[in-house]
Amino acid sequence: MVGFSNSVIKEVDELFSRYPVKVHALLPLLHLAQRVNDGWLPSGWDAYVADLCDTTVNHVRGVITFYNMFHTKPVGRHHIMVCTCLPCGLCDGDKLLTHLEERLGLHPGQTSADGLFSLEEAQCLAACDKAPLMMVNDKLHENLTLEQVDNWIEQARKKK
Amino acid sequence: MVEEKQILTKNMRDSKYSGDLKAYKNAGGFNALDTVIRKMKPEQVLELVKASDLRGRGGAGFPTGVKWSFMPKDTGKPSYLICNADESEPGTFKDHLIMMRDPHLFLEGMIIGCYTIDCNTGYIYIRGESQTAIAIMEKAIGELYKDKLLGQNVMGSKYSLDLYVHPGAGAYICGEETALLDSLEGKRGQPRIKPPFPAVSGYNSCPTSVNNVETLACLPYIINEGPEAWKAMGTPNNSGTHMVCISGHVEKPGVYEVEMGVSLLEMINDLAGGVRNGKKLKAVIPGGASANILKADEADVPYEFDALMKAGTMMGSAAVIVFDEDTDMVEVASRTIRFFNHESCGQCTPCREGTFWLKNMIRDFLDNAGDEAKMQRVERVSANLIGTTICPFGDATGGPMGTFIGKFPEDFRKHFA
Ligand SMILES: Cc1cc2nc3c(=O)[nH]c(=O)nc-3n(C[C@H](O)[C@H](O)[C@H](O)COP(=O)(O)O)c2cc1C
Ligand code: SF4
Ligand code: FES
Repeated sequence: MVGFSNSVIKEVDELFSRYPVKVHALLPLLHLAQRVNDGWLPSGWDAYVADLCDTTVNHVRGVITFYNMFHTKPVGRHHIMVCTCLPCGLCDGDKLLTHLEERLGLHPGQTSADGLFSLEEAQCLAACDKAPLMMVNDKLHENLTLEQVDNWIEQARKKK
Repeated sequence: MVEEKQILTKNMRDSKYSGDLKAYKNAGGFNALDTVIRKMKPEQVLELVKASDLRGRGGAGFPTGVKWSFMPKDTGKPSYLICNADESEPGTFKDHLIMMRDPHLFLEGMIIGCYTIDCNTGYIYIRGESQTAIAIMEKAIGELYKDKLLGQNVMGSKYSLDLYVHPGAGAYICGEETALLDSLEGKRGQPRIKPPFPAVSGYNSCPTSVNNVETLACLPYIINEGPEAWKAMGTPNNSGTHMVCISGHVEKPGVYEVEMGVSLLEMINDLAGGVRNGKKLKAVIPGGASANILKADEADVPYEFDALMKAGTMMGSAAVIVFDEDTDMVEVASRTIRFFNHESCGQCTPCREGTFWLKNMIRDFLDNAGDEAKMQRVERVSANLIGTTICPFGDATGGPMGTFIGKFPEDFRKHFA
């Protein structure tokens, strides 16, 4: 169903209280909408959020498509972002990405059929001294060896 | 021998330091704010910051006191201080260290800044990927409200201040201050045409100052010890210490706090352990992906705003990226242009189209299909990006891309058809 539950609406009101204009809360609102929708924005949520903050659905769509973190298609339960930007690229960022592509059978931009994993190539995540690294949902995994990655995948599959 | 300083990093270098309010206060925290709130008028704080010659640590190195003095008073509108915690310039990771390890140092600085420009509502714009930093900052702000260091009547004075964290959503360009303001207003993060400058018409069309995390974190020391103590460190016009991020092919990548003006080369060798695996240095980018690259024999420069500018590059966000002798500059150019093409906001034709064509041309070299004409074309398109766009992103792309070819033509020639 499209729409925040009553308990989340409290959070929405708190967000609105932070800004002089409702629509300024749009980015945090979209993050919140993704949080209650397994990390993505199913259809109808753009219009719902637009209504909530007194703006147009086209404005909201413009914003959703501008920012990397907003997804209009389902992402995996583990959304993996591998940094291959300049400093990480010097420190085996690509090897990490290739390894994950092979192990998961996914290319960047794809989600596994069981909905467990999705893969993305990331730009600098402000942790370049800890390369190679990946961010899974909110958590950074740093100074990774390929064995650690394999272990992590195994754990994630088990927990399923 | 370059040595580390512990002005900003004093607390966080102690592995037992928890970073909560109690620990920060035990370490002498909030004395500066106490002095400011009880004994100083905003104008006096402004004079002190001006006298310190503090320059912004976000990239442009603009004097902080001067920036604040541009803000008109008595406009009938509220003033805003927005902290730029977007930290997305490739190679930069110091602001995150401050937020994660010593959040109250930065918050004390931010409150002092807000007081100085008579701001009652401030926002901290943190990149959306950094949920950990966002949670730490939210928690720290909560502690301050409980302790009456934020909210109505800060420290029992007449001054009131609310601070909020605002999450970005994954767009490098939102680090540019006017794009950040649009993003904060719930829009696509596209840089604004200036003037008007944010000081006059910024957030919600009100007088606004955008300041970097580290810039604000310098304020408690400057208030406690005075501008002369701050200026006693560093070099003339490049005062104080700062936090340098060293990454790439070094033994010990990390953040190092040094005085302004130490040798870039010595810093790499003495602090970061030199080029890793005993290799030789080929080149170094001194200020993030937006800064022009220096060849190994150009790297012995004073690490400060002015000397680097003179050397044809910039200190930017103090992100030092080190390349060893085996590095292929075509590879480096390719990563750099993929980044800029991905992050261009698309408003200006030279940037939107230029980054796209540059990416394709560099790919030709990677595919060993380069030639002399393509090299010249890359240089021409790069030059066309400089000075022709709404925001400095154009220069930040054109400069480095032109310099890779200009300084390392032999690397590109190895990729001729
Ligand atoms: C493309 C681009 C990206 C930027 N990214 C950042 C950033 O991530 N963090 C930051 O503090 N400043 C960034 N800046 C600089 C800001 O526009 C602004 O100058 C700075 O936040 C001002 O703070 P300061 O005076 O304390 O340095 C960026 C500038 C440009 C052109
Ligand atoms: S230079 Fe690029 S990033 Fe900056 S406003 Fe123009 S298109 Fe956008
Ligand atoms: S380049 Fe990967 S975190 Fe900075």
